[in-house]
Amino acid sequence: MIFTEEHERLRETVRGFIEQEINPHVEEWEEAEIFPAHEVFKKMGALGLLGITKPVKYGGLGLDYSFSVAFAEELGRITCGGVPTAIGVQTDMCTPALARFGGDALCREFLAPSIAGDYVGCLGVSEVGAGSDVASLATTARKDGGDYVINGGKMWTTNGAQADWMCLLANTSNGPVHKNKSLIVVPMKEKGVVVAKKLKKLGGWSSDTVQIFFEDVRVPQSNRIGEEGKGFTYQMMQFQEERLFAAAKGPLTLQLLIEETIEYTRQRQAFGQSILDNQVVHFTLAELRTKVELLRALTYQATERYVAGEDVTLEASMAKLTAGRLAREVTDKCLQFWGGMGYMWESRISRAYRDARLGSIGGGADEIMLSIIGKYMGILPKRPAGEFNAMPGEKEPAKEAAKEILAAPVPAPGAGD
Amino acid sequence: MNIIVLVKSVIDVELNIRVKDGEVVKDGLNYILSKWDENALEAALQLKEAGDGEVTAVTVGPDRAGEALRKALAMGADKGVHVNDPAAAGSDAFGIAKILAKVIQRNAFDLVIAGRQSQDTDLGATGPVLAELLGVPLAVNVIEIDPKPAGGKLNIKRKGDVGVELIEIALPALLTANDSLNEPRLASLRGIMAARKKPMDILTLSDLGIDPETVGAAGSGIEIVEFQPPPQRAAGQKFEGEPEEIARQVVELLANEAKIFA
Repeated sequence: MIFTEEHERLRETVRGFIEQEINPHVEEWEEAEIFPAHEVFKKMGALGLLGITKPVKYGGLGLDYSFSVAFAEELGRITCGGVPTAIGVQTDMCTPALARFGGDALCREFLAPSIAGDYVGCLGVSEVGAGSDVASLATTARKDGGDYVINGGKMWTTNGAQADWMCLLANTSNGPVHKNKSLIVVPMKEKGVVVAKKLKKLGGWSSDTVQIFFEDVRVPQSNRIGEEGKGFTYQMMQFQEERLFAAAKGPLTLQLLIEETIEYTRQRQAFGQSILDNQVVHFTLAELRTKVELLRALTYQATERYVAGEDVTLEASMAKLTAGRLAREVTDKCLQFWGGMGYMWESRISRAYRDARLGSIGGGADEIMLSIIGKYMGILPKRPAGEFNAMPGEKEPAKEAAKEILAAPVPAPGAGD
Repeated sequence: MNIIVLVKSVIDVELNIRVKDGEVVKDGLNYILSKWDENALEAALQLKEAGDGEVTAVTVGPDRAGEALRKALAMGADKGVHVNDPAAAGSDAFGIAKILAKVIQRNAFDLVIAGRQSQDTDLGATGPVLAELLGVPLAVNVIEIDPKPAGGKLNIKRKGDVGVELIEIALPALLTANDSLNEPRLASLRGIMAARKKPMDILTLSDLGIDPETVGAAGSGIEIVEFQPPPQRAAGQKFEGEPEEIARQVVELLANEAKIFA
C-alpha cells in the first residue's frame, strides 16, 4: 500500500485545519461569493500544505504525489466545493509546470511565495472560445525587445479576483497549434490586466471565478516557464496532476454525503417507518458506497503508478471521468432521499448537488476524458484538429508530448531538491 | 528548561466501540494521542519557545503507542522515550507511575506535564501518583501557565473546587493540563516528516531495573473484570408545528410525564 503513518498524520492535520479554519466560515464565504484566499493560504503555507510535492529549495517538502492525493482526499471534508477547487488551483494546477520547468529566478519570485501562502496563483488556460479545446486558444504574447506583449482574454479563472499571478498559456508564434504556445507568469497587478467581472455560477460560490482581459500587457521574456513553444506540452503534463487531484477530491466527499444521507433518512419517518428502511433507499446507498470505493481504488492505483514514474494519463482520465459522473449520481440520488429538505437552498446536500456539477466540466470535460480513453483504446476516429488528434501533416501531438516529457532531463514527479 | 510530557495512545472514542463477551472488540479500532496530552504537549512547547530547553515525550505501551509518540514528535517534541514491554500491559495507574518515575529519574528535569486524565480510562490518577513517587509538588487541572519561571518557581492558574486558584509552584514540579489551557497546534507537514528522524529511546522493564512482578497485570491492585457497552440512548421525540403549540406540548409532557414540577 502507498500510504504510511506519515500520510495518516498529514490527513489528521488537514482534518484539524478544515475543522478549525475552513468549515466554520463556509456559510459566510458562500454568501460573499469569495473566500479570503490570502488569509487561508498563509495558514496552510505555515503547515507546509501548499508545497507537498514542490522542491525543498523553494520551501516545499519534496514528497511524492501520494501525499498530494492523501491531501486532496482529505479536502473532501470541506463542506463546499469552491474552497477545495481554489486550493487545488494553487497546489496542483497553476504551480506544477513552474516548479518543474521554471528557471531559478522565476521560481524564487513566484513559486516560493506561493508555497509559503503569501501569493495566490491562478491558471489562465480556458478562454471564451477555447475551453476543453485548449489548442484553439487565441490569446497572444508577441515578442517586443526583451518583453512579451500580451493581448487577449481568459475565462472561468478560479482565484482570479484575488490572485497575485497567473500561469498563462498563450500563443507565442504562428506555428502549428501544439507548438506555438508558451506558459508565461503574468503578475496580475501589471498594467493592462483587467479583471472584467466576477462570474455568477451554478455552484462553487465560495470561490471567485472571473473573466480577465489583457490589453498590451508587458512582461519580461524571463517570465516564460521553460522553453518557448513547449507550453501546450507542459500544460498537458500539468493536467495529469490536475486530473489525479480532481479524482482524489471525490471519494471522501461522496462518502460523507452518503453517511449524512443515512443519518437523515434513518431519523425521518414516513408511512410508519424510517425512509432508510425502504429497500430502494438502503440498496441505492449501498450501491453508491460501493461505487465510491471503486473510484477510490482506481485513484490509488493511478497514484501508485504515477509515483513509480509511469505515464498515467489513461488511469487519471478514467478516474477524473468517474469522479465527475459519480459525484453527479451520488448528489442527485441522495438529494432525492432528502425530499423537500434536499431541495432547500441551505441544505448541505443541495449545495453539494450544485457544486458537484462542475466535476464533469472543469479540468477537461467528461467528453475530453472519454476522447483520451478512446485514444488509448485505439478507437478514436481521426479528426482534422483538436487536443488528441494531430493537424494534417503533423505527428501525433499527445504521443509526441509524452515522449518529450519522458526524455526530458527533469526531476521525477515529486523529487526533492 | 528540561520538560517531560507524558503521552498515551488511546482508542478513538469518536468511533463506535463494540463490546463482545465482556471485551472491547479490537478490530477496526483507531488509536489516537489522548486529547489532554495534546494540551500538555502544547504547554511544554510554549514554555520551550518562551525560553529555551528541551521537550521529551514519554509513553508506556505496546507498538502502537509509538505512533502517539511520533505524533508528539511531529508536533514539536525533541525526543521520545517508549517503554515497550509486554509485562507492563495491564498496569494500573500506580504501575504506570512507577515505570514513568524510573524513566524520568534517569536525568535531571524541571517540569513534568501530563493530561489531567486519559481519554480512555478517565482515571486522572497517574499524574498525582507520579508526583508522589518523584517527590515533587503537584498542581492538577491547570488552565494557565506563565511561561517565564522566576526564582525557580512557576506561576500558574488551576481550576479548583470553588474557583480559579493562583499558584506559585516550585520547580521541579508536576502539572496536569485542563483542555482550556491552550489550543494544541496542528503538526506541520515538515514536523511530520521530521518525526522519524528524531531520537527515540525504546526501553524494556529490565532496562529500567523494574521487577516485572511489581507492575503490569501481575502488580496491579485492580482487575478489570469485564467491559459493558454504554446503555443505548432512547430515541428522542420530535415536535412539529407552531412554536406556541410546541411549547404547550413540551410543558404538558414535562409536567405530566416527567413530573419535573411535582
